[in-house]
Amino acid sequence: MEPWKLEPARDTGLTPSERFRSVRRESGLLESLAHHVCFSMLRSYFAIAHRLTIIGRDKLPAHGPFVLAANHCSHLDALILGAALTPRHRERAFPIAAGDVFFQSNVTSTFSAIMLNALPMWRKNCGPHALADLRRKLQEEKAIFIIFPEGGRSRTGSMMPFKHGLGMLVAQTNVPVVPCGLVGTFEALPPHRRLPQPVAIKLVLGDALQFASTANDRTGWSQIAAQVESSVGDLVTQSRTA
Amino acid sequence: MATLSFLCYREYARITGLFRERTISLIVVIGILFITFAALDNWYRLFVALFPLTVALIATGGLIPDQPKGYIQRVGLGVLGFALFGSALGNLGYMANDWNYRPILLLIIFAVELNDIFAYICGYLFGHRKFVPNTSPNKTVAGALGAIVLTTPLFALGAHFVWFGTALDTPVRLLGLGVIVSVVGQFGDLMLSSIKRDLGLKDTAKLIPGHGGILDRFDSLILVAPAMFHYVNYFVGFAAGQPQRIFSGWEI
Repeated sequence: MEPWKLEPARDTGLTPSERFRSVRRESGLLESLAHHVCFSMLRSYFAIAHRLTIIGRDKLPAHGPFVLAANHCSHLDALILGAALTPRHRERAFPIAAGDVFFQSNVTSTFSAIMLNALPMWRKNCGPHALADLRRKLQEEKAIFIIFPEGGRSRTGSMMPFKHGLGMLVAQTNVPVVPCGLVGTFEALPPHRRLPQPVAIKLVLGDALQFASTANDRTGWSQIAAQVESSVGDLVTQSRTA
Repeated sequence: MATLSFLCYREYARITGLFRERTISLIVVIGILFITFAALDNWYRLFVALFPLTVALIATGGLIPDQPKGYIQRVGLGVLGFALFGSALGNLGYMANDWNYRPILLLIIFAVELNDIFAYICGYLFGHRKFVPNTSPNKTVAGALGAIVLTTPLFALGAHFVWFGTALDTPVRLLGLGVIVSVVGQFGDLMLSSIKRDLGLKDTAKLIPGHGGILDRFDSLILVAPAMFHYVNYFVGFAAGQPQRIFSGWEI
């Protein structure tokens, strides 16, 4: 635990709607309770409706900061990864969600922030400062990020190439990246469907990857993206065949 | 009143960073809930007992993280938070048990707001000497004195009608109450200025456009509530003749 500091919340001075969309947001007592209740209920839902099996849960680091990187083909993905975390982890877990989907209106941004603790990533005009802010948050707040490096949901169910953004968050840091393979979410709720089908879902966690010695430049980021992509790809094939 | 207490405590906890201490924050919130219950129930003994009991609980809750470094700061902030927004503001809630509660509460709120306005106007017209330049550079001695001179008789007049014919209704006692409201109201204002200056902030939140947070609006009320409550309680008492322990009074 960190030493005590008399330090105002990092989001002090923001209006409520700015705060919900801000990366500087820090949850209070009621919001934390809302995340816990929401993810506990989701966990029960996935266990009952989707017979969710989690393999390799012991590979999660004991505490933050770390990043969960997974393949993405459904809105259920982030919810499953959030629900797979222990209650102690959930306090600091932030799904990184598309700003243009989850933070466009006040209603959706309030829901995403209060219930899911999501942080926005603006896909069209996200400058390097947005990733720099996330990189700082990850280390300073010992946060846990849930990231889908494909940059969007796959429309076919097969994995798309990973983008560099993940590399910009973890290159030259001691933050481990846990690759996760999700199987069954495309069948349960593909992008063109509105309601989920009761299909079995499997989540496989791989060994954490470290990138402390990978350069924090374009080549390093590509290396990281490629390495995580191949790990996630392996996990997906492995769980499909198992 | 409970909503006001919670909103004020929330802003306080966020600007001081106390919200990161979940156990202490939770105990303060539970304390405020109990104070509200005691006020609603008109159970004075519980109301009085809650302050030391909650302080004891906060001191115990501070032990849970097993991290002595910063214990005094964490527990100190928690106790101050409960004292100001639970206990002190709770007095305002308890006053609402009086049969005559509407004029009492209106009188206090008007007096405190007018007090701020008088201080501003007098300071603007006659203010030369700074009062406490390091805490609040805009406050002047003339403003502070002017507010006392103007608020006291006005409040005394209002109080004369509210507590007509009671033990409090003598000129000296009424003027004494007026001075307390005016002086303590200004101290409340300065207290919040000190807290904000210590943290390097201008406003406690950005909730109401142009006004800052709830705490910025109700700062003067926080200290006035207990001072006035006990002054009036000494002479007259609140909620005299009202049913006691409305909810918890059943016999076992």
